Amino acid sequence: MSTRPVPPAQLWWLAAGFALWCSALVALYAVHAVGCAFAWPSGPLRLGLALVLLMHLVVIGWIWGSLQRADPGPDFGRVGVFLHRVVVWTMVAAFVTTILTLGPPLLLTICM
Amino acid sequence: MNVSADRPARGSPALRLHRELAAIWATGPGLQRLAAVNHSVIGLRFIATAFVFFAIGGVLGMLTRVQLATPAAAFMTPETYNQVFTMHGSMMLFLFAIPMVEGIAVYLTPKLLGARDFAFPRLTAYGYWCYLFGGTILTGALLVGVAPDGGWFMYTPLSSNVYTPGVNADVWLLGVTFVEISALTLAVEIVVSVLKLRAPGMSLDRMPIFGWYMLTTGLMMVAAFPPLILGSILLETERAFHLPFFDPTRGGDPLLWQHLFWLFGHPDVYIIFLPMAGILSTIIPVFANRRLIGYRAIVVSIIALAFVSFGIWVHHMFTVGIPHLALAFFSAGSAIVAVPTAVQIFAWLATLAHGRPRWDVPMLYIFGFFFIFALGGLTGVMLAIVPFDWQAHDSYFVVAHLHYVVAGALAFPMLAALYYWLPLLSGRMAVHRLSVPAFWLIFVGFNLTFFMMHLVGLRGMPRRVFTYTGDDGWTSLNLLSSVGGFIMMIGFGVVVIDLLAQLRYGRRVRRDPWGATTLEWAMPLPPPPYNFASIPDIARGPDYPVNRELALSLARGEGYLGVARNGWQETLGVHMTSGAPEQLVVLSRPTFLPLYTALATAAAVLAMLFHLYPLTLAAVLATVGLFVLAGQSAGLARDYGPMPVGHGVSVPPHTEAAGAPPFWALIFTLVADGTLFTSLVFGTLYLWIAAPNWPPAEIFAPDVGLAVVVAASLIVAAAAARLGLRALAGGGMTRGSIGLAILGLLVAIAALLRLIGGVVPRPTEHALGATAAALLTYVAIHAGIGLCFLVSNLLRLGAGLISPRRSLDLRLTRLWLDYTLMTGVIALGFVLALPALVAMLGTRS
Repeated sequence: MSTRPVPPAQLWWLAAGFALWCSALVALYAVHAVGCAFAWPSGPLRLGLALVLLMHLVVIGWIWGSLQRADPGPDFGRVGVFLHRVVVWTMVAAFVTTILTLGPPLLLTICM
Repeated sequence: MNVSADRPARGSPALRLHRELAAIWATGPGLQRLAAVNHSVIGLRFIATAFVFFAIGGVLGMLTRVQLATPAAAFMTPETYNQVFTMHGSMMLFLFAIPMVEGIAVYLTPKLLGARDFAFPRLTAYGYWCYLFGGTILTGALLVGVAPDGGWFMYTPLSSNVYTPGVNADVWLLGVTFVEISALTLAVEIVVSVLKLRAPGMSLDRMPIFGWYMLTTGLMMVAAFPPLILGSILLETERAFHLPFFDPTRGGDPLLWQHLFWLFGHPDVYIIFLPMAGILSTIIPVFANRRLIGYRAIVVSIIALAFVSFGIWVHHMFTVGIPHLALAFFSAGSAIVAVPTAVQIFAWLATLAHGRPRWDVPMLYIFGFFFIFALGGLTGVMLAIVPFDWQAHDSYFVVAHLHYVVAGALAFPMLAALYYWLPLLSGRMAVHRLSVPAFWLIFVGFNLTFFMMHLVGLRGMPRRVFTYTGDDGWTSLNLLSSVGGFIMMIGFGVVVIDLLAQLRYGRRVRRDPWGATTLEWAMPLPPPPYNFASIPDIARGPDYPVNRELALSLARGEGYLGVARNGWQETLGVHMTSGAPEQLVVLSRPTFLPLYTALATAAAVLAMLFHLYPLTLAAVLATVGLFVLAGQSAGLARDYGPMPVGHGVSVPPHTEAAGAPPFWALIFTLVADGTLFTSLVFGTLYLWIAAPNWPPAEIFAPDVGLAVVVAASLIVAAAAARLGLRALAGGGMTRGSIGLAILGLLVAIAALLRLIGGVVPRPTEHALGATAAALLTYVAIHAGIGLCFLVSNLLRLGAGLISPRRSLDLRLTRLWLDYTLMTGVIALGFVLALPALVAMLGTRS
């Protein structure tokens, strides 16, 4: 074991991408529910929803890009490379899932 | 007292090592069996008990098929039918599917990961007894005619006092919650064991894929069960104490129950599926004669599946009146969840396509799985499309879909696993004369039964109906469905006969009859209670080659821990990611405490069921007391420092290690607890935004002064816990800090009780008061549990079980009190903000 072990705290990154997807879903669902309950005008409500979605996409995309550029480094060895690749792919999957599941619905009638 | 744990002297008989280990690890005869804590024993008990409930649930299913085989049948009364179909669903889901998954996890996981047992053997045993007693309560209710009768998902208001005034719904709420306690304890155990108790060198990239599946499943259970437990508690308190969480006339909302139920219910499908997928990913490469293709892609897809499965709970509620835009989120999610599932299926097909597959009974069942799961998946995508779901909702089409997905995805891989690991359980190989006809009977029967349900559902037959007139075009399809059900039942009967025959007449085998690559085959068959005489060093993986030489080397004690020491049940704790040896984990020996604790818990459940509330309180206190008592026999009575574990490596015992399993167990317990708390906050906000009859007539003004006292007391308690830990490390007085923490918690509890007493509207009058009281009670209960931690600390300090090096207890207490402080401040802030939130409701449309 000449390499440095990957700290256990790094394992949370495995969940980060889809946790952000969950955050986007919950935030959109909540803002939509509150907006409809309080009869917010549809234009600002739709814009608010789009901003929530965009903000999450930016965060996921930024993490994805940062991870893609980052090298796990030789210090962490084979395990580090494995976990790095898995985390990057979960970010990719979360990014695509966020666009596909949460993007098109925003075009629908807002509170019907 | 210490004995070197290095390799035994050359020429020392391996047999002696086995005898010594067997003496330490064995479960005693006779009544001592009730004290068993060994994972093999408990795992097999889980599996056997789950099969018993499967048989009972299967018979109930057949009774429904008899009733529906012909129109206007008088086989059962409507009241009996309601109990029978409700118990069929409840048993199959809560008493068979989930416990079967747990049983397989308990039995197999340590063996595949190269450990001698799970991290918390007494908790495993407690989980089993809770399951058994909870299941017995539900079954007993069926026998005396007061079984639940409101459907397996117990929708309100049908399950409320108004429409179900008897104890039927209480039996479900209390019995299932009891069983869920078992599931939650095992979830924490599975997660910690996979992360910490693996063979040295088994880094995460070398872990058998089954480990990834179980880790993810365990984490899903940690997050999925609390919403159901919370929902059950809220509904039971509504039924028992008239708190109107789901009563729309008093500010509650029946849909809150559906949200809480399906926040559990949808992930539950994947909680059942993922371990089965883990089994398939383990078995298919063996029969394909090649490594699993796409290990990393599968890991990514498991993680994706776990999260997405949570995010689509609303697809069970497409018809309740949610706006289209919100429905579309869940519709798209429900369709996209097929992608990570498909990644796994294509990885299995690619493994088979690129290997040299051989045909055997487990492969027959895997073929059956592919066929059935593909059909179930396709109808799942159909139901994900909102307009189709509106047509098919609550029809037999949905019943067909759920059986294809849940029953097919569980039953066929489970039977494949049974035939695959039967040599491990029994040391005998299959005979196969009955195995193949049994498969075809089940396969044909299954498809005949449930495929017809698609058709009868599309013809408009609603689910849960007691009978039909015969002029709707449903008769022949129902009859065929019932015939199929009996064919399937005969198939399962043949499987039972086949298994019994194999246990008696099967050819004896010694090791690895399939040419597998996982570690469970590197042990004698059937496995001894300690699994491995010594623990292997994993140099390659994840398809670690198991061969005769490795097995014999381990049996000779040439791996880690190849010696018996101090009468301890030892296994190795490793670094989570690298798998480097980190600590010597000394496990609990057989004890009756788990049984007694489960009996006390059962007494609490039964007393609640019969409305004997003082007895309930006494039984709860007894349960808590037994947990504190169990803590007094945990750990080691002195410091040992690094101890040799073999291969020239020395590690401290877990009591002196920083990342000991109990520390991680508390972390994941708090994750579950936090999910429950979040669900409670969600419930309050949901009622605020959606429930009728808000705002209430009176709006309370919480006593800010009392709230400040509570927060300050919790801060004092948490700070005192930190001071105590610091004092222990510096050799100072710890008891004073503990005393201060106790005082802080007592003041907090007293202030909380006054706050709860002052809630207006009264908790029985309006859901606003009920949710405010629930939030404050949550904090009070956590402060009470914090007291138990502190009392245990004092007792263990007195017994010499805590020292500057053995500070785990105080670190656990600090963690608990930090959590209590954090949730306490959030809950208090939320309760203080409620009047302002309610004031906003004037503008609600």
